[in-house]
Amino acid sequence: MTDGSATAGESPVTNRLSCPSCGEHAGTTDAFCESCGSLLKPQSLPPQRESAGIQTNPSDRPCLACAGKVGSDGWCTVCGMKVSNGREHVIEQPASMVAGVSDKGIVHPRNEDAAALAADPDICWAALVVCDGVTTAADSDVASLAAVNAARALLAAAPRPPNTSAEARIAHWSEQLIAAAAAANRAATETAHAIGDVENPPSATFVAAVADRDVLVAAWIGDSRAYWLPEAGPAEQLSVDDSWATAQINIGVSRDVAEASPQAHAITRWIGPDGPSGDASTSATTARSPGWLMVCSDGLWNYCSEASELAKLVYSLADSSAAHEPLPLAESLVTWANEQGGHDNITVALAFVDPTAEIAPTAEIDPTASEVEMKESF
Amino acid sequence: MATWTAEVFQNEYLPDGATDVHAIITVTCADSGQAGDDGSGAAEAIIIDCSGSMDGPQTKMIAARQAAAAAIGELSDGTWFGVVAGNGGPVIAYPPPALEVGGMVQADTRTRAQANYAVSQLRARGGTALGMWLMAANDLFARTPASQKHAILLTDGKNEGETEQQLAVAISRVTGQFQCDCRGVGADWDVNELRGIATAMLGSVDLIADPAEMAADFRTMMQTAMSRGVANAKLRVWAPLGAEVLFVRQVEPTIDELSARRVEVTNLISEFPTGAWGDESRDYHVAVRVAAKPLGSEQLAARVQLEVGGQVVGQGLVKALWSDDSALTTRINPAVAHYTGQAELADVIQEGLAAKAAGDEVTATFKLGRAAQLAAETGNDEATNRLKKVVDIEDAETGTVRLKRAVSKLDEMALDTSSTKTTRVRPS
Ligand SMILES: [Zn+2]
Ligand SMILES: [Zn+2]
Repeated sequence: MTDGSATAGESPVTNRLSCPSCGEHAGTTDAFCESCGSLLKPQSLPPQRESAGIQTNPSDRPCLACAGKVGSDGWCTVCGMKVSNGREHVIEQPASMVAGVSDKGIVHPRNEDAAALAADPDICWAALVVCDGVTTAADSDVASLAAVNAARALLAAAPRPPNTSAEARIAHWSEQLIAAAAAANRAATETAHAIGDVENPPSATFVAAVADRDVLVAAWIGDSRAYWLPEAGPAEQLSVDDSWATAQINIGVSRDVAEASPQAHAITRWIGPDGPSGDASTSATTARSPGWLMVCSDGLWNYCSEASELAKLVYSLADSSAAHEPLPLAESLVTWANEQGGHDNITVALAFVDPTAEIAPTAEIDPTASEVEMKESF
Repeated sequence: MATWTAEVFQNEYLPDGATDVHAIITVTCADSGQAGDDGSGAAEAIIIDCSGSMDGPQTKMIAARQAAAAAIGELSDGTWFGVVAGNGGPVIAYPPPALEVGGMVQADTRTRAQANYAVSQLRARGGTALGMWLMAANDLFARTPASQKHAILLTDGKNEGETEQQLAVAISRVTGQFQCDCRGVGADWDVNELRGIATAMLGSVDLIADPAEMAADFRTMMQTAMSRGVANAKLRVWAPLGAEVLFVRQVEPTIDELSARRVEVTNLISEFPTGAWGDESRDYHVAVRVAAKPLGSEQLAARVQLEVGGQVVGQGLVKALWSDDSALTTRINPAVAHYTGQAELADVIQEGLAAKAAGDEVTATFKLGRAAQLAAETGNDEATNRLKKVVDIEDAETGTVRLKRAVSKLDEMALDTSSTKTTRVRPS
């Protein structure tokens, strides 16, 4: 999950807080709610993110065991049961060439990331979608799940033009991905309206990538990322964060200074009812050797940001006996991120892309063939 | 501003059907500032025994004057203070009535010099009435605007000027009004009596065997008091509905049962006063009995929080997780084991010495033997050294000891007063 800001856990507390559990206003120096004792997460919000940043959480779901109020530490304030949304560790693998793992991590009480995948191995086609719910907004986990499912449904149903040029396929998938982001945004917004929390609507990041044979296209809103990590040749980060740090770098601040800033991670674009308007950003590349297409939340890339470093990590973790199997690799990456501290939810989706593989020449395109079933493990 | 951290040490894995959860919570306060920083100032009372016995030998009264002056020298400018001369009827030695503004005056060069002169004039005569001394200090404190109040009390004798009942009433009147560190000089005071005062008043108790050590001890006590920038913190313990908090005990730097000071906040939350804090760590042992849950269940057994000025400033979570993996459930957390041993050590030393005083040598030998065993097991070398002055340790491993025939009263009192001092768990 992404915080509205990246300062969580650093500065003790700044101002303008109210309790995420009971909504009670708290003083400027409070670390915990005076009224219910809940931990108040430190907030230092960039001006762009104001409306969604104030912590009120009137719609927080009650304890499943006793209907008591849930503390923001993730435990019921009455019976002490752990609060679960069933997404502590979710595995998704609709086809053997793709896999996604979404994990709660260690520090956060709830997993607000979500992943949805689709694939058609016969034509070397895959779509990966990840959304990262904004922690400071209520029910962002509901919004992120609705968003990834909406985007996947759109991509899975999109036409897959055979025998067209790389340029044409890039143009086609860029358009489809922008439409998928719009669908995700609508789904997140509908969630918000269903919840009826106008003050602090749920919001999320969005990233999706499509592999169509040698063509790789990514689209994003926010700071979840897409990478192309080939076996040979340079690794690439396909997405560019919509973040405060990127905005600073764009106006000439050095990367070191910008990324060290306490609000480096504050996102400047997100999906949800109060998100800034505009299409998703897109980028594309062409695969020349086999490799991994990855989309992930910042729970992973926070620990390994540079594409070249991430490629090294991925190939060092890949089991030599199962070098092209995405699920063990995705699990290893999640385990690795948890070993680094698991400070955030960790979601990673992978597709093994082999542009050199033979494709059945007369493969019938059946959009529904890639409808997937979701596997969840608790 | 003070920053707080709370760390939890426990084995959260419980076997099927188990209900009791034990944890050690280490609370650390940093950047606390100076006494008086976080409210309307600090106030100090110095209570000096001026009973007739302080002149036998005369060195005690001389040392007491020097010690009081040493403590006065450590008062930060602006600290409200006063000196109580204690005997059968307490006298306010400083400030004199003409100077009395709000019961105490604020420390500066002039008032410190005046107070030094006043304590140099203290003379030993009359009896000992500890309860009245505390009440006199309380009257002084009550008329200051200070929110952080601390006293040092020195005595050389038992409370003979008033009844036990009178002392108990006085203690209950002043409890919660100020903190009080208590010192006994010589061998004629009652360890249990002074420990009772110190415990109720969230202070320390110690023996000053040699009057020559008194000034240094007073200076240290006052320096410590002046370095406590957090006037008052409370330990707040939440336990789930239906659970029972078995005990809450400070286990480091000294054993202090907090359970008796419990204040109910809600049906699930209790609070325990912990007094003023400087930059320091204290360890707490919390034990909670919860209803057993099915294997694989996980639940929160306690939230242990620090509260300052109505705000929760730190939190540690105590968890329970039922498992059928005996490799996990049979492990005893080393910190829990260590402090369980140290708490028992304090008990058996006090019980052993009480039995010895009552002439019950069998019980005394058994209890002090167990003490020798626990001191060795928990690596409390200081306790072992003090025990060796009271018993001959034949085999520490089995707890076999013999009572020494000729034991100095001061050695016994040193063992008794320091029985609650603990050592930190050694890294394994
Ligand atoms: Zn609250
Ligand atoms: Zn509950």
